[in-house]
Amino acid sequence: MSKITQTQITELLCQRLACFTDVEAEISPETNLITHLAIDSVKLLNLIMEIEDQFDISVPLNALVDVLTVQDLANLIYKIKLSS
Amino acid sequence: MSSIIAKLDVPPAQEGNSLSSEASVVSATPTINLLSQRRADFTTLVESLEYAAQGETGHNFYDAKGNLKSVLTYKDLCANAKIIARRLSGLGLARNSRVALVADTTPEFVELFFACRFAGLVPFAMPVPVNLGSRAIYVQQLKGMLEGSGASVAIANLDFIEFLNEVVGSLGSSELKWSGTPEQLNLLPEADVALSPNAPDETAYLQFTSGSTRLPRGVVITERALMTNLRGIVCNGLDVRPGDRCASWLPFYHDMGLVGLVLAPLAAQLSVDYLATRDFAVRPLQWLKLISRNRCTIAFSQPFGLKLCTLRARVSDLIDLDLSCWRAAGVGAEMIRLDTLKSFSAKFSAAGFNEDAFLPCYGLAESTLAVSFPDINQGVKSLRVDAKTLIEKKIAVRVQADGRKFNEFVNCGRPLPGHEIRVVDDADQEVPHLMVGSILVKGGSVMNGYFNNTEETARAIRSDGWLDTGDIGFLFEGDLYITGRRTDVIIVNGRNIRAQDVEELAEQQPEVRTREASAFGINNEDGSTSVVLVVECRLASAVDRQALINRLQQMVYMAFGVSCLVELVSPHTLPRTSSGKLSRFAARQGFLRRTNMEQPATTSYTVG
Repeated sequence: MSKITQTQITELLCQRLACFTDVEAEISPETNLITHLAIDSVKLLNLIMEIEDQFDISVPLNALVDVLTVQDLANLIYKIKLSS
Repeated sequence: MSSIIAKLDVPPAQEGNSLSSEASVVSATPTINLLSQRRADFTTLVESLEYAAQGETGHNFYDAKGNLKSVLTYKDLCANAKIIARRLSGLGLARNSRVALVADTTPEFVELFFACRFAGLVPFAMPVPVNLGSRAIYVQQLKGMLEGSGASVAIANLDFIEFLNEVVGSLGSSELKWSGTPEQLNLLPEADVALSPNAPDETAYLQFTSGSTRLPRGVVITERALMTNLRGIVCNGLDVRPGDRCASWLPFYHDMGLVGLVLAPLAAQLSVDYLATRDFAVRPLQWLKLISRNRCTIAFSQPFGLKLCTLRARVSDLIDLDLSCWRAAGVGAEMIRLDTLKSFSAKFSAAGFNEDAFLPCYGLAESTLAVSFPDINQGVKSLRVDAKTLIEKKIAVRVQADGRKFNEFVNCGRPLPGHEIRVVDDADQEVPHLMVGSILVKGGSVMNGYFNNTEETARAIRSDGWLDTGDIGFLFEGDLYITGRRTDVIIVNGRNIRAQDVEELAEQQPEVRTREASAFGINNEDGSTSVVLVVECRLASAVDRQALINRLQQMVYMAFGVSCLVELVSPHTLPRTSSGKLSRFAARQGFLRRTNMEQPATTSYTVG
């Protein structure tokens, strides 16, 4: 886990999100978390917990305000992971 | 934590012999105070703090993993707040100027809040952003509060200062004289002034209620109203005693978090253990662990918070928990459903939770916080009433025979001393017991009004002093039962969402005209609430229509953090009153009728 690439994070996220939501459609980096996956607040909290446990990071609230797509979230995780 | 463990191995000769060893070991403030307890019998907030500062108790802040992060004794809080007050005084602000604080769960927020009171300034707490993709709307929300309050100072910590700076940059002519972080404030010189005492009639703070749009409403609470309410909570609601200790994850920008779990414990010199709201939301069990580990006796939550705990706890989590110390499990801030409480106690009774600890109460920011409490230690009482008679005749008839369809409502107790509750019909006439109507409240805790907003104030407070709570319910044997909210507020997962705010968001879209959107809440089978937005739409292309639906869902999500059901209808579908105003009630009826007749998959609404 020490040298994880941005692409790997994105792939992992897409996989996790697929089990996480009941949406049939394929999840890509461009998938919008709100309109396509209907991530409500409870799902979001679960997702953050999983991300934090899996990547061993802490996701600050203020960073989520710029996240709309799977790619945005992956970029954020990568950034936090790099600086930790 | 490692420093505490390390200290256990230190030879006794070195222990506790220097200031530095004391400073390096952080330990939580004690539960038992050597200072004799005074139960909120003070005339002002700073007087309460001056007294609490003579003891050893105070605030403890824990991180996401449950480690003690920082400790702020009331003694230090008092001293630090006075220093900051002198720095604020150096800015040369008029007495009662407003100070905006982005309220993260930190010691700095509490220090700043009290610094304002020492300096004769009026603090108010602004929320932290919690929703995905919500930057633009969050900034707009802060802007509304800064403008609405005419704030002279605005402070945010490092995590949130960029949002505040964005707002400050966009403010035109404003009364704002200074903005920055607590660290920047600490660089200001201390003015050589005597801090003058506060008077009971002065404003203690403003509390903004929901409000995401242009006209947020700031509730004005005086020192007198605040101290009246704190006394009611401490003496009557909770019957606070020595040995009590509180735990809280509630946000400092909510009335229950601020008044109930910061100011009330302070007025009774109790120690409090805090967990940031975000950390609770991600790992709710940390809250229960804190209660168990520190033997806390008082902790409040919205029903939604209890639900999160129930959902997330695994059987293995219960082994390490001992919740038998928890004597007042306050529940409030949204409609309380009995099954939420039942599933919580079913799950946590194995961890020693005593269901008699449940304390379902009723209150609202417009009455400082608390309005009614049931007797302590009696648990939840409820009433089963016939569902049909309730809807058709607005009367709560107790269900006697089995087999009848019923609604079960939770007993929220009696009004605090010096307060009265009245239930009235649409003609403003008081109705007999068991008749459902609008709940009005009168008493010493009621707000002066909304800040700088005479129109909304007049709508909320009658000329005879009765506050219209906006909630509906009935009284039975003197106890209050809430049966619902009126249609202007939708409560989802503990968040109050004003229907008007949702409609205004829709109307900001170029395709949507003013007065052509209606928002309301509907109840789902599982007891949760969904926001529905019905919009009159002239678009013909299916692609355009879907794009509008997506955009509206995204906007609503970003603003309120909830999914929303969007239905596009033809122009002139939404029912209007004779004066041309939309009727949300009728719009809701129409929606329910349409969705029953049509299959969801083939109509123009999608579940978001």
